[in-house]
Amino acid sequence: MDIGPIWRAMLRNKSGFVLIALQIAVTLTIIVNAFGIIQERSGRVARDSGIDEANTFAFASVLFTDYEREQRKTLIDEDLDLIRNVPGVINAVASNSFPLRQGGWSMGVALEPGNQGPESVGTAIYFVDEHGAETFDVDIIDGKNFTPGQVAWSIENDNTWPAYGIITEALGKEMWPDETGSYVGKTMFINDTDPVNIVGVVDTLQAPWESWTGVERSMLVPQRRPSEFVRYIVRAEPGMRDRLMPEIEAMLAASNKDRIIRDMTTMDEVRKLAYVGDAALIKILSFVVLLLTIITSLGIVGLASFNVSRRTRQIGIRRALGATKPAIVRYFLIENSIVSAIGLVVGSALAIGLNIVMVEAFSLEPLAWYVIPAGVIALWAVGQLAVADPARRASNISPAIATRSS
Amino acid sequence: MLKMTNVSKIYRTDTVETHALRGFSLTVEEGEFVSVTGPSGSGKTTFLNIAGLLEELTSGNYEIDGRDISSLNDKERSRVRNEKIGFIFQSFNLIPELNVYDNVDVPLRYRGFDAKERERRIMGCLERVGLASRPTHFPAQLSGGQQQRVAIARALAGEPRFLLADEPTGNLDTHMADSVLDLLAEINEAGTTIIMVTHELTLADRANRNLFVRDGHIHDGPPELHFATAANA
Repeated sequence: MDIGPIWRAMLRNKSGFVLIALQIAVTLTIIVNAFGIIQERSGRVARDSGIDEANTFAFASVLFTDYEREQRKTLIDEDLDLIRNVPGVINAVASNSFPLRQGGWSMGVALEPGNQGPESVGTAIYFVDEHGAETFDVDIIDGKNFTPGQVAWSIENDNTWPAYGIITEALGKEMWPDETGSYVGKTMFINDTDPVNIVGVVDTLQAPWESWTGVERSMLVPQRRPSEFVRYIVRAEPGMRDRLMPEIEAMLAASNKDRIIRDMTTMDEVRKLAYVGDAALIKILSFVVLLLTIITSLGIVGLASFNVSRRTRQIGIRRALGATKPAIVRYFLIENSIVSAIGLVVGSALAIGLNIVMVEAFSLEPLAWYVIPAGVIALWAVGQLAVADPARRASNISPAIATRSS
Repeated sequence: MLKMTNVSKIYRTDTVETHALRGFSLTVEEGEFVSVTGPSGSGKTTFLNIAGLLEELTSGNYEIDGRDISSLNDKERSRVRNEKIGFIFQSFNLIPELNVYDNVDVPLRYRGFDAKERERRIMGCLERVGLASRPTHFPAQLSGGQQQRVAIARALAGEPRFLLADEPTGNLDTHMADSVLDLLAEINEAGTTIIMVTHELTLADRANRNLFVRDGHIHDGPPELHFATAANA
């Protein structure tokens, strides 16, 4: 290998190489940390909300006329009857919220009554009837769904919590971390002293707040709430959603003139809105990564091209002394590898340092072990690609240039 | 042995065709010290480039040690240059970023010798040209004569069959030029064939055979004769 003389020659002409090595170091530092953030955010965006997002939509029914409590109950029953009987509808439910909506109801649950302090565990609450599980398309992996008899309307001025609940597996793990068997049949306490018997466990049903650390903890509660503002969630058969949305809106608007139907939205739109910040950050950081990589490769191309021009005669001399064309290409590739190696070693140290700072300052996840090696390999490959064309041009320099007057 | 038969070299542009060498035939035997003289633009450098495989000939035949090398590919030509031919240039053509040792090392690395063999050859050649004490000096730290001696050491390190020298003393003062010519004569006496292009008749006299190039043709004989002929023409 020719590393020795190439390295010694580089030491005689350091400035350009030092600048490029620095540029590579800074680029590696930024792109691996940006990639770490992109990876973290992409992971968040890719999480399963638990519901059948592609086929589900939601809307609100808002009464603008004073209805008695019993009238409101009747209207909700009629609405759900109408919706569930529309061909193409799998099921529908009236609930206070749904995953990714960014607004909802949370409560603290505890193993002992009267212990709603720091030890209690936060959970999202979805008030549903026995149709909730199918509408949300959650799999009951243990226990069973609510029976109609377990579902009840809320009672005016009575805060007693329903006695049953279906929890997510994540909530069960948080409550009973050492439990290896079933959570079904266990009791936890909510609202300070109200016991909740767990009748079922679902695999995934996210809370409405995607940025909450406890986003995987939620509970279906068998209670119906006859308010003026009712949120309906409808799950359609595959491919039927877009046709059903205007159809159901028109049907309900016609069935009762004392209310308006609004906020008609698909779960796809809800997801998009929930992750708009993450999506923007991913795009911006991806652009930064791309831009920095391009700038660095242009820098390498520039330095290599400059070196080819500056060393035209020297390359001709090397050719005259027996260098083959591949040997000239190899010279530039080795030279670039040396610069890259220095930049990448410095950059790796800087990247680790920056990541430590970012983990401490912004509570980010530490970089996965493979991100820095992957960045090193990627930037080295970019460098080799960038230098390939100037090197190829160098190899085409005629050895006869050695005999021309300088 | 170097043998050119009816070699021609034509440079073509879109509008102009320049005949640098025309029907150029020449045989140089092993151990000869040949000078090549001629006026500017006569084809001396083209001859040297063709002889040194730095350029391809347009037509004709060129053999080194009985092997036809006019049809070799680039890789094979590079190998012949590296193994059989040593170059000494007017402007020394040392690589400024490399020290004396690394400069002499350049052709040896392309040859693929191991480090021990390279060191043996490098130090041997530097000893021969009187620069064994300066392997770590850079070209800029040496005089012109010393730089040319390094270039000669570089040319000798591969133990070539032929040494092609292009105006080797053109950039040196008289004292240094004599010293370099003495060295070349010594190398020739040791068995290396030398072909030296020069425009100085006094230098050409140091060779044991003189060739004269004019208008792309070659003529054998003392340079004075040809210069006189050219002047009277």
